[in-house]
Amino acid sequence: MQLTQFSCRHFRCLPGLAFAPEPGINLLYGDNAQGKTSILEAILYCTTSRSHRTTTESDLRQQGEEGFRVALHAIAQGQPIQLEANWWHNQKRFKVNGIPQTRISDILGRIRVVFFAPEDVDLVKGSGSHRRRFLDMELAQLSPAYLLALQQYKKVLRQRNETVRDKRPDPILLDVFDEQLVQYGAILMAERRAFVTQLSAFAQNAYALVAGGELFSVHYLPSITPDQDFAETLKQNRERDIRRGQTLLGPHRDDLELTVDAKPARSFGSQGQQKTAALALKLAEVELIHHRYQEYPVLLLDEALAELDPHRARRLFDMLATQVQCLITTTERAPNPAMEEHPLTRFHVVRGHIEKT
Amino acid sequence: MLWNAPSVERLVEAFRRLPGIGKRSAERLALHVLSAPAEEAEAFSRAVVEARSRVSQCSVCLNLTEENPCAICSDARRDQRIICIVEHPSGAMAIERGGMYRGVYHVLHGVLNPLEGIGPEELRIDRLLKRLEGGAVDEVILATNATSEGETTSLYLSRQIAKFGIAVTRIAHGVPMGGGLEYADEATLAHAMQGRTRL
Ligand SMILES: Nc1ncnc2c1ncn2[C@@H]1O[C@H](COP(=O)(O)OP(=O)(O)O)[C@@H](O)[C@H]1O
Ligand SMILES: [Mg+2]
Ligand SMILES: [Zn+2]
Repeated sequence: MQLTQFSCRHFRCLPGLAFAPEPGINLLYGDNAQGKTSILEAILYCTTSRSHRTTTESDLRQQGEEGFRVALHAIAQGQPIQLEANWWHNQKRFKVNGIPQTRISDILGRIRVVFFAPEDVDLVKGSGSHRRRFLDMELAQLSPAYLLALQQYKKVLRQRNETVRDKRPDPILLDVFDEQLVQYGAILMAERRAFVTQLSAFAQNAYALVAGGELFSVHYLPSITPDQDFAETLKQNRERDIRRGQTLLGPHRDDLELTVDAKPARSFGSQGQQKTAALALKLAEVELIHHRYQEYPVLLLDEALAELDPHRARRLFDMLATQVQCLITTTERAPNPAMEEHPLTRFHVVRGHIEKT
Repeated sequence: MLWNAPSVERLVEAFRRLPGIGKRSAERLALHVLSAPAEEAEAFSRAVVEARSRVSQCSVCLNLTEENPCAICSDARRDQRIICIVEHPSGAMAIERGGMYRGVYHVLHGVLNPLEGIGPEELRIDRLLKRLEGGAVDEVILATNATSEGETTSLYLSRQIAKFGIAVTRIAHGVPMGGGLEYADEATLAHAMQGRTRL
């Protein structure tokens, strides 16, 4: 997978900007608040219809403008592909090779990207919702069946939660919602389990590569454990769900347990360990995508190098740079000597404009 | 609209309330009605008023009809022992166009959707269950849409109908005839897979 052309208009602080990423490392450097992160965010939005910084899409439009546009050219599976995202007065339109698309599943996975930003430390430090969003976003890109089951599960869950808030909920209607939750939930749990098993092995390697020594591992912590029956659990907890006005157990409460040397990284990890763990999850995702599709995704690293010492950075680049196209933002023009040993293209970002240097 | 004419604004507003009509189309339709001869506009409004006043719900199947019971319910050649349940009159119309179905209908005028305040009572499901009492029906075919709410409604009805010992079937949702697999989206294919039948 390789991005060959980026362009956007009125996206965040970028009035209108285009550049051609090269194979290998693309270093986007510049002072703070010049638009580096916004470029990566635009790539993420165009490929996933999501932003890592906001769920309010109108935030993405440049202040004072009515809409924004992002377009990407890439080579995927040896074929050229174009993606375009247009947002105008709360309406969004996506095109693939010029053809309008109506469903998110028609866009996801066309150009695969893995994004790492400083905020991703929340994957380790934050609440379970961050880890669930990670699971859902990554699996939705990998599996259309997962995305479909997820969308249905969420709909049925909202309906069930509404129903348990009734004064006298219809028991047959609750039976039906339970049956639907069990049907879609089974798909979510099975795919999450398989994904985490694979991810854990890759994450262990990635962590060792970046940090050396310590043993990092990722475990799936399902709300419904394998020895429990989801249908039975829903039935047993129905009275409690009605008292509390919500569905207390199910895949919507799943979590991941992240440990460093068998200690939970969330409570025992140092800042550095937590950041490394988050980065290792994303690097594992890179390897997992390669494993499934025999093709590496594009790696977007936002301010990820600051805390890596040169040795570790060298090992990271040795692993990545020959095969993975990376877009890396930093404030320095030469953040790391190890980079220079690899194919490297520099772009200077200044006040929303970009220039190859 | 540019000029200050409250009656025109009301007309545009009325068109906008129709399904699938946006602001632009509503203005275009309003301009058309206003530019056409007065008789044409009158005929149009008469057609709306007349159809609306003559058509009501069939007391048996709740489909829209001018006579009561409707033509299908009172057709002696139709098999009254088979009832096909649809969300809207448009569903019954679509099946009639197929020309193969010989049973009768029941129109729900909606689907179960607690988030929008639509429960079993709002769908008047008791009306349907009343129809099934007394052993005059052998089979119920569930033809709600393949949405999550359509599935909920079908599952709910099948559980309610099970009490009467009547056979309940769900129509298959799958690949359109004459269409290759490559043209069906993932959701349709996944559904068609789940609903596969033994040959
Ligand atoms: N919707 C928007 N319209 C215009 N400017 C914005 C918008 N959103 C953020 N900004 C501005 O963009 C700048 C941040 O850009 P960013 O890409 O995060 O910079 P960098 O990564 O280079 O530090 C800030 O000055 C911020 O105020
Ligand atoms: Mg930044
Ligand atoms: Zn009738």
